[in-house]
Amino acid sequence: MATPAIEFYGVNKIFQRRFGGVQITALSNISFEVARGEVCAFLGPNGAGKTTSMNILMGFIYASSGRSRVFGYQPGDVRAKERIGFLPENFAFYRYLNAEKLLQFHLRLSGRQMPDPAALIADLLVKVKLDTYKGLKIGKYSRGMVQRLGIAQALLGDPELLVLDEPTSGLDPAGRKEVRDLILALKAEGKTIFLSSHILSEVEQICDRVIIIDRGHMVRTGTMREMLAEDNRVEIIVDQLPEELEQTIKELGASVEREPHRVRIAVEIAHKRALAEMLWAGGCDVISLTPMKSSLEDTFLKLVAEGGAP
Amino acid sequence: MKVGVTAIRTIALSTFGSFLRNKVILLFCSLFVCIVLLMISPLLTFKSMTNAANAHQMQGFILNEVAELMAMVSGFGSLLAAWAAADSVAAEMKSGTILAVMARPLRRWEFLAGKYLGVLLLMAVYVVAMLGLTFLLAWLGGQSYHTSLWTLLVYPLVRYSIWAAISMLLVTVLHPILVMGIIVIFMTLSEVFASTSSHIPPWLRTPVHVILPLTNLVSEERFLVITKASLKPFPWTNHLTALAYGLDYALACFLLAVFVFQRRSLARD
Repeated sequence: MATPAIEFYGVNKIFQRRFGGVQITALSNISFEVARGEVCAFLGPNGAGKTTSMNILMGFIYASSGRSRVFGYQPGDVRAKERIGFLPENFAFYRYLNAEKLLQFHLRLSGRQMPDPAALIADLLVKVKLDTYKGLKIGKYSRGMVQRLGIAQALLGDPELLVLDEPTSGLDPAGRKEVRDLILALKAEGKTIFLSSHILSEVEQICDRVIIIDRGHMVRTGTMREMLAEDNRVEIIVDQLPEELEQTIKELGASVEREPHRVRIAVEIAHKRALAEMLWAGGCDVISLTPMKSSLEDTFLKLVAEGGAP
Repeated sequence: MKVGVTAIRTIALSTFGSFLRNKVILLFCSLFVCIVLLMISPLLTFKSMTNAANAHQMQGFILNEVAELMAMVSGFGSLLAAWAAADSVAAEMKSGTILAVMARPLRRWEFLAGKYLGVLLLMAVYVVAMLGLTFLLAWLGGQSYHTSLWTLLVYPLVRYSIWAAISMLLVTVLHPILVMGIIVIFMTLSEVFASTSSHIPPWLRTPVHVILPLTNLVSEERFLVITKASLKPFPWTNHLTALAYGLDYALACFLLAVFVFQRRSLARD
């Protein structure tokens, strides 16, 4: 069996203030694996420890304890870094360079011998739609353009693993869709992608697996299918609902949401038949009856609100 | 272990390029040029006032002025080396550009080596430029240098490499402004120690010898007398040991900087 692309076993990170001795636990016993070829989302509210985990993964900071590996190597090992493309949360750059020069700089650092580096850079700039601005100094770029450039530098050298911290941050809806399509294309090429994002609807569309952390603790990890198959309720939409009938169906544990021209009723699958018959008998016109599928956002908010972290 | 020579060279050239756009360094250099021009002005006055009757007296004024200018060039070079080294690392950490750079297959020591070489490249340009100034001053002083060119290039460069290495070591743990404060204190102590060394008890002299960079040892002033602008007899073994001392001190500081940098966090906590 191939070594997983990323391994985290019991990773802890405690930040200690230099003076005063105050300790802040950023990560507590974080364990997960990301298999090769998988697109994995790393989710959590602000301050959950996502960027800290990614920094450990890249070898920028050291874990206080626990074991972490990238392609079987210690984080920060050049053999691992040769296979990684990384986009930091706030991609910083040399403002006096233009996009072409910055990518040349990063390509030289990557140490890869390319037959035609100029063509490779030109292709990448077309891919992220910066080809028309390649001569402009990066200091004059908008937030979205900088983010695109950050993605281009992460893709340099055809990495096997992409670690993307908020890849769609700062992008407009069209830009977000382009990044989404790009990630899907990379997924089709068999790349491993580990990304963090706050835009859960996008994560739902592109990721195979989700890891949720909160306040430095693991809350949940599972496939997208597992995450979305949580809801065991059905939604019944009717044209109207008499007051007396509302009281009765609420006794079945149903929830009612009135809208201007219809009423939404949610109830557990076990009660769907009884409820539907009750509504027909009560003179309501049942417009639709559909199994409810919770969105990733619902699951995420529920898990975080439940206080998965102690 | 495969050393990323290309990566080190890339970092060094990029660092050197960033110095040429660094506003603080450009401001320092502009101020320095202004001061040099101001100091050359009285020199030219003395020169123009020189006649057969006061030639000896005027020559004394001129050579004194030249000596002061050369001391200033040396002091400024040391400060420039220290600031460039501190800023080159601190600016990358502060702006966060270090993250994208260190995500590349690059070891931490290679990054630091690239930065250090970038500083030395800047100082090499400075030394060459100052060599031109030195010859100009000597000509104004009515002297000509009878010395090997290499000594005027290598000695200052080794001296600056010491200050750059100390600064790089300090900036791995301290703010660059604080680093400059410590560097100025070190420079002052080093000067004081050089002139009062014989009065210091032996038990204190040895540790001070080890800790303080004795840059007077790697100063061309040891064998170059400005009032004569000629080379005093100086055996090659003395050159060798003096330069070896400077390089050894710089290397020790650089290795300590690598040791500390290897363990520190690159991301802002």
